Order: sequence, then structure tokens, then C-alpha cells
Amino acid sequence: MIDLDFMAEAFRRLIQGVPLTLELAALSVSLGLAIALVCAMALHYGHRGLTWPIRAYVTAFRGTPLLVQIFFTYYGLGQFRPELQALGLWGFFREPFWCAILALTLNTGAYGTEIIRGALQSVPYGQIEAARACGMTRWLVYRRILLPIALRLALPSYGNEIILMVKGTSLTSIITLLEVTSIAQQLTSETFRAIEVFVCAGAIYLAMNFVVTRIIGSIEYRLSAHLRAAPDLVALPAGGGSA
Amino acid sequence: MMERAKVEANRNSDAAPAAVLVEDLHKRFGKLEVLKGISLEAAQGDVVSILGSSGSGKSTLLRCLNLLETPDSGTLALGGDRIHFATDARGRVVRPDREQVERLRRDAAMVFQHFNLWTHMTVLENVIEAPVHVLKRSRAECVAEAEALLAKVGIADRRHHYPAHLSGGQQQRAAIARALAMHPKVLLFDEPTSALDPELVGEVLRVMRALADEGRTMLVVTHEMGFAHEVSSRVLFLHEGKVDEEGAPGEIFGHPRSERLRQFLSRIRK
Repeated sequence: MIDLDFMAEAFRRLIQGVPLTLELAALSVSLGLAIALVCAMALHYGHRGLTWPIRAYVTAFRGTPLLVQIFFTYYGLGQFRPELQALGLWGFFREPFWCAILALTLNTGAYGTEIIRGALQSVPYGQIEAARACGMTRWLVYRRILLPIALRLALPSYGNEIILMVKGTSLTSIITLLEVTSIAQQLTSETFRAIEVFVCAGAIYLAMNFVVTRIIGSIEYRLSAHLRAAPDLVALPAGGGSA
Repeated sequence: MMERAKVEANRNSDAAPAAVLVEDLHKRFGKLEVLKGISLEAAQGDVVSILGSSGSGKSTLLRCLNLLETPDSGTLALGGDRIHFATDARGRVVRPDREQVERLRRDAAMVFQHFNLWTHMTVLENVIEAPVHVLKRSRAECVAEAEALLAKVGIADRRHHYPAHLSGGQQQRAAIARALAMHPKVLLFDEPTSALDPELVGEVLRVMRALADEGRTMLVVTHEMGFAHEVSSRVLFLHEGKVDEEGAPGEIFGHPRSERLRQFLSRIRK
């Protein structure tokens, strides 16, 4: 039933969409992380003038579907072509690629903000107090103590978010971007062999996310030495090495 | 004018300058007034033990000295800095100058009841963190010094361990090394042995005793009466936010004058 030669051919075609999928995911995840860091720190800092616009942004982008956001940036903002041209932004919003990047970035930025804000809040107060007590400036406390601890706490949930973004790029097929899912749709309509095509497409996403998971896992391992047992803990006497 | 000021400053420094000077310090949390006008003075090399029952304000006083709490009013002189605290017309505390606060904190190192070592750093990294990033000293120099300090508190062999891998006593000794690495003018201890298992208290007190013998200026909030009696040069007994009695340890423990101090001591000694 299943034509292996066709599958191999489909796979070759689909693979051509991988660079674009990865590009969309990598770019939006890194830009989104930058937004998330800034917004989470602003929320944590607690300046009222900053707090409510950020809350509104996070609520809007977490509360609406990513697909709607993509439609909105590409087709919706297209309605404002004269205004965007006047602002010199039309070159950006004309391109489906940049519209996709914008929607994906703002979406992951909103989720990331919440993840990092929660992590910043979970840093035990004693850690911050010890830093302030030795004369660290506010910024130094963030840089050396708060953020390093918070990012360790946030990493597992942030890994989830990155995987969601890799899969989220498939929604950009709707605005004519030729990434993996889009190519799969083309192939299906040419050949009517949905099973073969989408099994291949699924396998490609699975492989990409497997790599992502392994990368995050290794970062997590490297940053969590303090949570593992000491190498010689077994040999450590209770009050050992006393003065 | 300048010269006269200099001469006067010199004369003042001749007569054993106060390492810590607190005048009429007030602090309230909402409606609760925790410190009701505390004054204290510690000369260079003094070890001042601060006693008092729970809620007497002793920890708040110590935290005010490092400005982890900002007093509502009063004066604090420590190291080269002198800060007056005040509240504005609406009753809000006027924030003292941030740079001055950070400078004062560098001079007054704090040792916490719960150690508060940074969990994501090894013991050595904990000790060099503030000298490298706050004092901006060279890393190699700080590492060498940190290793000597860790040897001094007896945990040199644990320098590459993370805090979670140490016993409470070792963690507190690491925290003391971290405080010493700042070359502070004053060491503040906030119940440094209260979170320890009884058999680990001794190792921390031994280190503190050695520091006192070196002539370090120390202010110690403690329930360790033996330490307060034998090591301190002066003892303060706080009651409801005021200094209820103050004196040499011999007087305080031998001839307590106030009834409250007598009751406190008899409860503690049971």
C-alpha cells in the first residue's frame, strides 16, 4: 500500500522546507527571549508605568490563537498599506516572512515573560538579601544572582515553549511561506497521498524537536551541578573538616 | 579652615574612634514600632553581643546597621560614612543616597542566620563574588585570598563544593569567609548559630572566637550566653525596642540590675 519510493521522494521535497522552519523558529525564539527578559524584569522591578502595558500585551497574546495573530499581522495590517507606506514600514509588512517573525516573536515573548517572571519571583529572598548586604547595585544583583538563578528555574518550562514554537512555525504555511507543512500541503494536493506525506512531515518535526530537547537537556545538566549529589558526598562526614 | 578641620579629625581619631555609632535609631513596620530610640557605640576591636527575647528588636537593629532595613529616624556612622535618617511630611522614609548605602554595606559585612550562600555557586565562587564584582579586584588575587580564608575557617577542602553539599556548620563558616573577603570594618552576625544542629554550633563559635581574638569589630545577635559572656567586650540587652541594660559581660551576667534582664537570664539558663 505504502509506496516507499514515493515516500523517499516526498522526504526529499519536505527537507527543503527545514531551513525556513528552523530560521523562523530560531529567530523568533531568540528575539522573543529578549522581549521576555526585558518585560519580566520590568514586571519584577514593579514600576507601575511599565507594569500595565506589559500586562496588557501578555494578556492579549496569550489569550488569542497564534493563527489569528499571524492572520492579523499579514492580512490585517495589509489594510493599512498607505499608512505603513507613509511610515516607511511597508517593506517590512509586505513580506510574509517578516510578518511571521513578528507574530511568532510577540507570541513567544508573551509566554516567555510569564515563565521568567514566575522564575524571578521564585528566587528565595535570602539570596537577594545576601547580595544587597555586600553592597551590590540593583543591576549587579540582577546580573549575578537573580537572573542566573531564575534562568535555571525557568529552563524546563522554557524548553517546552521552544518546542511549541518549532511546531508553531507550521501555522505560517497559511501566509504562503514554503516551510515544511506548506510543502506537505502542496505535495498532498498534487498526489493525494496524505498519509505518506504527513508521516514524513511529522517525522521531520519530531527529529527537529528531538535535537532541541537534547540541547536544552545538556544546558540544563551543565547548569545544575549544584542540584546533583556531590561526587564525594558518600565520604563526607557530618561535621567534616572543622576548624 | 581646612587645616583646622584636619587637625580636629586627627584629634578625634586619637581617642579610639568609634567603629560603629548609632544615635537614637527608630524603626517602625506599619503601626508596630520595633526600635524606639536605640543608641550604641562600638570602638575598634569591640565585640558587642546583643541579647533580648523574641520581638525585642535585636535582629531589626542589626539589619538596620547594614541598611537591609532603612531606619525611620536617627543617625548611623559606620566606616567613613555617616547617614541621618528622616521621614518626609507625609510620613514616608526619605531614601538615603544609594551610593552611600552601597559603600556602607561594603564596610559592614553580614552573616545571616540561614547562611544565604548563593546556591548556584561553589563555596569558592561565593567567597570571591563580591570582591571581584563589587570591589572590582583582580580575580586571581581574590581566589588566592579566598583560599586562605577558607583554610582559616577550616573548609579549604570543600572549596569546589556547592552549598547544598555542605553541613550547616560548614555553610556558616563559608558565609563567614565570604563576609571576611570584603575586608569589612565591622562584622554583623544575625543569630549565626540558631539554625544549626547543636553539635555543629561549636565549630562556628570557634571561628567567631578566633575573629574576636584578631581584634575584629563584631556585633553579634545571639542566644549563645557562653559566647556572649566569654568573648564579648560589651553586652546589650534589648527589651521592646529599647536598650534595657548595657554593660561589661561580667556585670550583665553577674549583677543584672533590671528585673527583666534577671528573668530573661533565668529563663535562658534553665
